[in-house]
Amino acid sequence: MSIAISEVKSQELYCPEIAEITAVKRFTEKEKWFEIKLPNSRSLGHLPGQFVQVSLFGAGEAPISVTSSPTKKGSFELCVREVGMLTKLLHKLEVGSTIGIRGPFGTGFDVENFKGKDILIVGGGIGIVPLRSLINYVIDNRKDYGRLIILYGAKNPNELLFPDELKQWEKSKDIEYHVTVDQGTPEWQGNTGVITTLIPGLNLDLPNTITAVVGPPIMYKFVLMSLNTKQIPEENIYLSLERRMKCGVGKCGHCQINHSYVCQDGPVYNYPELKKLQEAI
Amino acid sequence: MKKYRLNKKHLPSFIDHLKGQGTVFAPHKKGDASFSFGKVEDPNSVILNYNRTLNSVKKYFLPPREQLLSFSKEDNSFQKGLIEEEKKIFLGVHSYDMKAVLKLDYNFTQGNPEENYLLRRENSFFIGVSFNPDEFHFSQSVGIPVNDTDGFDVYLEQNTDGYTVKIINDKGEKLIGGYNELSKAKDTSSNHAKFQNKLKYNYIRLPEVFEHSWNAEVWEEVAKNCVGCGTCNLVCPTCYCFDVEDNFDLSLQSGTRDRSWDGCMLNSFAVVAGGENFRETLAERQRHRIHRKFKYISDITGEPWCVACGRCTAYCTAGISIVEIVNQLCDEYEHKYLNRPMEQPRLNAERL
Repeated sequence: MSIAISEVKSQELYCPEIAEITAVKRFTEKEKWFEIKLPNSRSLGHLPGQFVQVSLFGAGEAPISVTSSPTKKGSFELCVREVGMLTKLLHKLEVGSTIGIRGPFGTGFDVENFKGKDILIVGGGIGIVPLRSLINYVIDNRKDYGRLIILYGAKNPNELLFPDELKQWEKSKDIEYHVTVDQGTPEWQGNTGVITTLIPGLNLDLPNTITAVVGPPIMYKFVLMSLNTKQIPEENIYLSLERRMKCGVGKCGHCQINHSYVCQDGPVYNYPELKKLQEAI
Repeated sequence: MKKYRLNKKHLPSFIDHLKGQGTVFAPHKKGDASFSFGKVEDPNSVILNYNRTLNSVKKYFLPPREQLLSFSKEDNSFQKGLIEEEKKIFLGVHSYDMKAVLKLDYNFTQGNPEENYLLRRENSFFIGVSFNPDEFHFSQSVGIPVNDTDGFDVYLEQNTDGYTVKIINDKGEKLIGGYNELSKAKDTSSNHAKFQNKLKYNYIRLPEVFEHSWNAEVWEEVAKNCVGCGTCNLVCPTCYCFDVEDNFDLSLQSGTRDRSWDGCMLNSFAVVAGGENFRETLAERQRHRIHRKFKYISDITGEPWCVACGRCTAYCTAGISIVEIVNQLCDEYEHKYLNRPMEQPRLNAERL
């Protein structure tokens, strides 16, 4: 194999764009929401499910899912859990601060292909962050999609994200919203139990239902088993994987699973594809 | 193909001729038992009769450490790292290392062609040299004979008193143009180098073995000896995984974003923020390394991504042999799927 390298048009891959934080909100002890504006209020041009590399000079870069819908113009949103050095520093930033952005990267949810279908969302913990992008996209293009069913599970009521929007989802006649927490508090009136307890009661139109699942790795096996008993066709299930995406452009190797680079072929995978990857879940 | 003869005594003047056209890099002796590619200052210090260099010429296209950008914390600004573009002539490259460069070309141009690699790689010239395979080389098994000239501009076949100089292409023609010490090629019989080391299956048959390699016992067995130091990754001419890290200078106001070689055998390689390690055991990591060399990219390109230089085996700090691993995979495959008895002794944990 020989490639005529002088004929290859190369790209600058590693320079971030400097973007401004235009709003910050704290949701929980660990999670904060940021609104980010690119130069000239340029749209990010992402699909729900894609991620960006957030760059803080001195700390490096971290892959973060976009939580806003592409239908939101002029800025985009991230919701970040504080887990390491970079996210800790990011949490200290205020409105007016600047950060670096590369991306968007990876596959997203194929919203064009989902048109006309019922959408079942299964989000565990911060898995709701990328799913919110899909949810709001469907809400903003409501007539293009069938039912919107949201299952959301968190450890406890204090860890539920986007509280204002959750209230709207609950009130909306257009959305079937079910929430559960692993452990309730005395004030908690809703369901308790893991997210899979919400699945058996669903009345679904098969095979017209697309399912999007994002959550911690431990959740996937149990959710897939429950979806299997509901006889949801495997090709209608999409899952998003977490890996150590470093370069975002399919080079550095950190996110590789078998032949697949998660930053390129993922993070959103169709379940039949994911099944072939032996180290995926 | 044009052929000439270069007498050994003219080699320094030949190198001087090359130096007149660009920066020349060639093997030099390093310490008592090792060789290393380096910039040629003194033509007399170049050694063309060597077994292998510790690192391949990969280091010139993907440096062990490079600055991607420099930044200032004060105003959150940055500047791209500068890449020096110069004409580079690589003299004395073995056929397997040339093939490794062609494989890196594939990796750095597919999907997102990378500017950093391509700026360094453009304007490079390669002059190959033949070698005598030692106990670690097995490149014939992966389809790369000693005198494979693919990728070279000029090729030197070593004989007792000098070299047969083969001009492979126009670039090569230009490179030797104006050099007057070349004489008419003698009709020497080609040196059919014999490999002492080889894979049990030729590379054409390896895909059938790697269809069944996932649950092989060899991964746990090799993990008993492996210490996860990552040397095999660092010396491999087709490994290109890297890490990116920000480093402040002493002002603590500015610094650089640097990338450096990384290795999938290192424990930290697949760890995500929050601590989960997606390839926690040495068996999983060895399996990943070997599959990168013989399956993942090979399934797409139809070529093994191991060029069989023998470096990972020669420099392994735990005495692990890639040939033994692949041969045991062949054995396990025959045993489990073709119902044949195990032929070779298994990798032996007590051996070391």
